[in-house]
Amino acid sequence: MPVKRKLSTKPHSLADRVFFGLARSAAYGAVTLVGLILVFLLVRSVPTLASQGIGFVTGGTWNATLSHPILQIGPMLWGSILIALCGVVVAVPMSIAAAYFIEFMAQKRIAKIATVVIDLLAAIPSIVIGLWGLTVFTPVAAHWAQLINAGLGFIPLFGNGTANFAGSPFIAGWIVAVMIVPIITSVTREIFSQMDRDIINAALALGGSRSTSFFKVILPTASGGIVGGVLLGLGRALGETVAIYFVLNLSFDINWGDVLENRGGSVASLILNKFGEATHEEIGGLMAAGLVLFIITLLVNWVAAWIVNIAQPWRRS
Amino acid sequence: MTDVRVSMDPGNLPQLPRPATEPWRAVNKSKSVKLAISAFAPALVAAAVTLLLALDPAIGVVLVYLPIQILTSVFIGRSLYGKKGQGDALLVVFTAFFSLLVGGLLLSVILSVITMGLRAMSWQFISQNNIYITPTTSLDYGGVGHAILGTVIIVGLTTLLTVPLGILVSVYLTETRSKMRNVVRTLVQAMSGLPSVVAGLFIYSAMIVGLHIGYGGWLGSLALLPLMLPTVSRVAEEALRLVPQDLRNGALALGAPAYRAFLQVTLPAARSGLVTALILGIARVIGETAPLILTVNSANGTNLDPSKPMAALPTYIFQFIANVYDSSVQRAWGAALMVLILVAVLFTAARLVSRDKRAAKRK
Repeated sequence: MPVKRKLSTKPHSLADRVFFGLARSAAYGAVTLVGLILVFLLVRSVPTLASQGIGFVTGGTWNATLSHPILQIGPMLWGSILIALCGVVVAVPMSIAAAYFIEFMAQKRIAKIATVVIDLLAAIPSIVIGLWGLTVFTPVAAHWAQLINAGLGFIPLFGNGTANFAGSPFIAGWIVAVMIVPIITSVTREIFSQMDRDIINAALALGGSRSTSFFKVILPTASGGIVGGVLLGLGRALGETVAIYFVLNLSFDINWGDVLENRGGSVASLILNKFGEATHEEIGGLMAAGLVLFIITLLVNWVAAWIVNIAQPWRRS
Repeated sequence: MTDVRVSMDPGNLPQLPRPATEPWRAVNKSKSVKLAISAFAPALVAAAVTLLLALDPAIGVVLVYLPIQILTSVFIGRSLYGKKGQGDALLVVFTAFFSLLVGGLLLSVILSVITMGLRAMSWQFISQNNIYITPTTSLDYGGVGHAILGTVIIVGLTTLLTVPLGILVSVYLTETRSKMRNVVRTLVQAMSGLPSVVAGLFIYSAMIVGLHIGYGGWLGSLALLPLMLPTVSRVAEEALRLVPQDLRNGALALGAPAYRAFLQVTLPAARSGLVTALILGIARVIGETAPLILTVNSANGTNLDPSKPMAALPTYIFQFIANVYDSSVQRAWGAALMVLILVAVLFTAARLVSRDKRAAKRK
């Protein structure tokens, strides 16, 4: 009589244990990597954070030549947020329009081409966007900025005391928008495409038109997913480095909201800008700046992933 | 009343004249004329007004064209569909306007890279390196050959490290029933939001400051790893999830151990999806600049040794944009065209691979 084999859901043969062990260690390794990045940046930036205190994120002076260097990134941090907000304001209408066009208006073949085109836009490296932004887009956008200032300059948001319209958060916002439109569009499009067609048809059958079905049915149903997509784009916009580096004039003179003026800030660009000839203390300051940036984008992305996950129940396993 | 009923006999039907419009058709002659007017007339009128008054084109688009287009569309929408046509017309106008804006921006990027890049392009630009080249050197000398090799080596090393790791993570997410899967998935996807400059800073602080290792291509590969991993693992996970559970169960029921069921059944079935994951991952990191500036530095000569500083296409572009000289910016455009060509080749490959999958499924 053969020996009774024990029934178990655990892998019992050595090869299987190795196989699942490899997969598990890879998964834990990837998780460890996130932790490792945080720990390393934290260790390197503790001296700076300890010597600068809370002024590191609120103050606006960067002077490494003093015997006790003052390293503060307030204007850069606010600048990053301002540019990301500008980018989102520009990108959201474009993305929702493109997603609506692809899912509800275009013929199948055109919709397919448009989807590929949007994916292509996502694949253009940020350095190429930066080159385009500096040489092609900036002159055009500066001209537009001048017109906006001439027409709407009485609104504080669009004021500009100088005659220089290049290097502004407005232009950087547009550049960032070009980079996050594909992200928001693809999330929105997927939400639209998975939507229950019956409720749209029901709205039309009750006498609704295209516009009422869009505003009263499609948009409210998809809003959760769209917000998640926008937050994903916001996370990307906050971390954008090289594209902004070329089109923005970094300035420690804080720019609260004059988006057309030739001064702005970006933490990621600051790191790239100061990195080349940084002193030992400055490197610590840049590490701390990277840490702050990472924590902010991580939080934004977590919230975004959480919202997208709730809004896309068909994705959950 | 009775007369009407009598005339129902088909033979007695009077021959009615054909009406000028056919209101029962979805698209009839008058409708298509009106739609054509609403599509083209505002643009023509606005163009004429702008040219006649010699207005700024920007003002022409926003202050002349858009109002005329909106008014025309609303009126024609109203005359065709009544009150609900108004809202629809507005919706169509705004959707078309913003979609065209996206398309226009993309077209502008691609066209300027192609036209400016082609001016720098030549065999010598692709094959030579950057020794003895200054920002003012004419475009007849020097090129991006060394940077292409550098990019291939750096990204190749990243791929060798990341793809096995990413596929194993996706195996963990699809083939096991562990409770930790959601945590792992969330954390790996959170990594996709990691700013690329922070990835570079991490390797810089850990390796160059911490262990006193000099700048080198392999450090760049390490810095690109956390940027590529989320893309690879996400796409690979979707590919593995598409393999029907019955196939796995069939293999297991036939007595195969789990690893052979995976290697001989699941893996071949998901092969094209995994290749797509590989290609999309490469496309994600091939243009990354900031991490390479922080970890690889740059070199003018051709260098095949990844433990030393080497050039890469993105850092080459970065190096040459900063100068204001024409020939220098031309070099940057040429290198940008090279990067876009590489990305386009990778994307075409990805689409071809995924099309094969669909064709195979149909059989």
